[in-house]
Amino acid sequence: MVTLTKRYSVLPGFSLALGLTLLYLSLIVLIPLSTVFLKTATMSWGDFWSTISNARVVASYRLTFGASLLAAIINLVFGLLVAWVLVRYSFWGKRILDALVDLPFALPTAVAGIALTAIYSSHGWVGRYLEPLGFKVAFTPWGIVVALTFIGLPFVVRTVQPILQEAEIEVEEAAVSLGANRWQTFTLVILPNLWPALLTGFALAFARGLGEYGSVVFIAGNMPMVSEITPLLIITKLEQYDYQGATAIAVVMLVVSFTLLFLINSLQWWSSRRHH
Amino acid sequence: MSIEIQHLNKTFNQFAVLKDINLQVPKGELVALLGPSGCGKTTLLRIIAGLEVPDSGLILFHGEDTTSRHVRDRQVGFVFQHYALFRHLTVFENVAFGLRVRPRKLRPSNAEIRAKVHDLLYLVQMRELAERYPNQLSGGQRQRVALIRALAVEPKVLLLDEPFGALDTNVRKELRRWLRHLHDTMHVTSVFVTHDQEEAMEVADRVVVMNEGHIEQIGTPEELYENAANPFVYRFLGSVNLFHGRVQTGHIRLGDLDVKFHEHAEVHQAPIVAYVRPHELEISREADQNTMAATVSNIYMLGSTVRLELVQVSNSEIIEVELTKEQYRLLKLHKGEQVFVKPRKMRLFMENNRAN
Repeated sequence: MVTLTKRYSVLPGFSLALGLTLLYLSLIVLIPLSTVFLKTATMSWGDFWSTISNARVVASYRLTFGASLLAAIINLVFGLLVAWVLVRYSFWGKRILDALVDLPFALPTAVAGIALTAIYSSHGWVGRYLEPLGFKVAFTPWGIVVALTFIGLPFVVRTVQPILQEAEIEVEEAAVSLGANRWQTFTLVILPNLWPALLTGFALAFARGLGEYGSVVFIAGNMPMVSEITPLLIITKLEQYDYQGATAIAVVMLVVSFTLLFLINSLQWWSSRRHH
Repeated sequence: MSIEIQHLNKTFNQFAVLKDINLQVPKGELVALLGPSGCGKTTLLRIIAGLEVPDSGLILFHGEDTTSRHVRDRQVGFVFQHYALFRHLTVFENVAFGLRVRPRKLRPSNAEIRAKVHDLLYLVQMRELAERYPNQLSGGQRQRVALIRALAVEPKVLLLDEPFGALDTNVRKELRRWLRHLHDTMHVTSVFVTHDQEEAMEVADRVVVMNEGHIEQIGTPEELYENAANPFVYRFLGSVNLFHGRVQTGHIRLGDLDVKFHEHAEVHQAPIVAYVRPHELEISREADQNTMAATVSNIYMLGSTVRLELVQVSNSEIIEVELTKEQYRLLKLHKGEQVFVKPRKMRLFMENNRAN
């Protein structure tokens, strides 16, 4: 909560800083987004509803939210594992591995998409071994999950890493000396302290997945009703000069994403408030 | 449960932290491991707990080899210097932790856990703080929670690593007394690590003085104070004045001082160091053959005692003297005045002893 009452602080300038923050957020986030709503408002309710409830569009929501959620859950587990290994063990090449984690941030998403498609297609390095097992990845929804997992990896690792770094080993030693086994030490002592950071990383990875376009369109195959993501539908509508249709779908994405992120943030805030 | 340590060695990165440690802690005793930082006392404690593995040597609990037993199965209670409380759990849940993680068959019922935790909280007068989180407690309260958390599982051995090191003086004194009292009621074999000689002397039944990875001396606080085995122990157990001199067939010459000395009667012309505690020095205004002349350079009033800093006339070395308020008042000393100092008691170590 923002309180406007003045509190003594060694660094003055609360009103100036808050003013600048609001101005900045307005210019960068609020004003561009509000045009989405304004453009949509020129539609009638009936048009709006029929656009956003079209079967193909609804299938794309399901795919986008489902694949993002699945990818974020995968990243939650493996991101924690990567962070754990990077913090707790020292081994040759650790620095390189650490730098590698940020690569999905830096790589142009189209490059990632093309590379993943090449690897997972039926003649690719990985795809050729998966396909005989009856598991097709490229040009299916699974391909989308793979791309989104790749894109979202750094978020969980980078949010959890600092928390793990400052966790006291003594607390774990205390748990073990009190008779806790490894699983109990992990679930009852280590994990509760990581929850807020894990949730933040999860929310960021999830949000990134919802908006991802570049890497997904190459690997997805983009078949209507099967592997067509919502951002692609928006682009398609734009290419057909259907600006209202595009913004209508965008509004749905915005509202749902904001609601979900707000819920996750509240959960994170609530769980960290309890003991910090 | 008694603890026995035999020929224990430990190295970290080719640096010998513990060298051939042999130690026995009888059942029910409260023993202090005392030494300067880096002497290996904490490593020794952690090895007893099973948090560290020795390179060689044996640890026996109640005569039974425990060296390779896991921490979890050693039944030790460990108290850390920085409390190591679970900050996401309430005080109550912190104390209950050790009972809740037991395998289902050995786990007490919820009602039993509640009764037990409340008893322990009562013991440390913290019952009304049961629902607080650790960060809502003071340092002293946190350490008390850490202590009863360790006691809740009824350990056979209680190990404390500088338990009062992070607390301020008053709280430390109170907790020390409380620990002693607790030990007298529960009689659990306890080992605690400290670098504070006053703490070790006040709390422990026996003190193990350690230095550079080995044990210098083991004894009751009184034995150590009255009968230090070597210069290190003597110096570590309190402030001390050093007088360098020579032994000459039954006599010692220390500056102006000439003392009869029978112990090393056969020694001629050997260097010797006399150790005298500040309160073992007497001050008078008349010289005799057992005094040395000194000038009062500083006077510090320390509550019940008065500490004087004197400068020896013969070699301008500094002597520290401690007087009671009463003695000081009778003497009516002034800064810059010349007086005569006489040791009431001294401890002599030949210079070729490890005069460290």
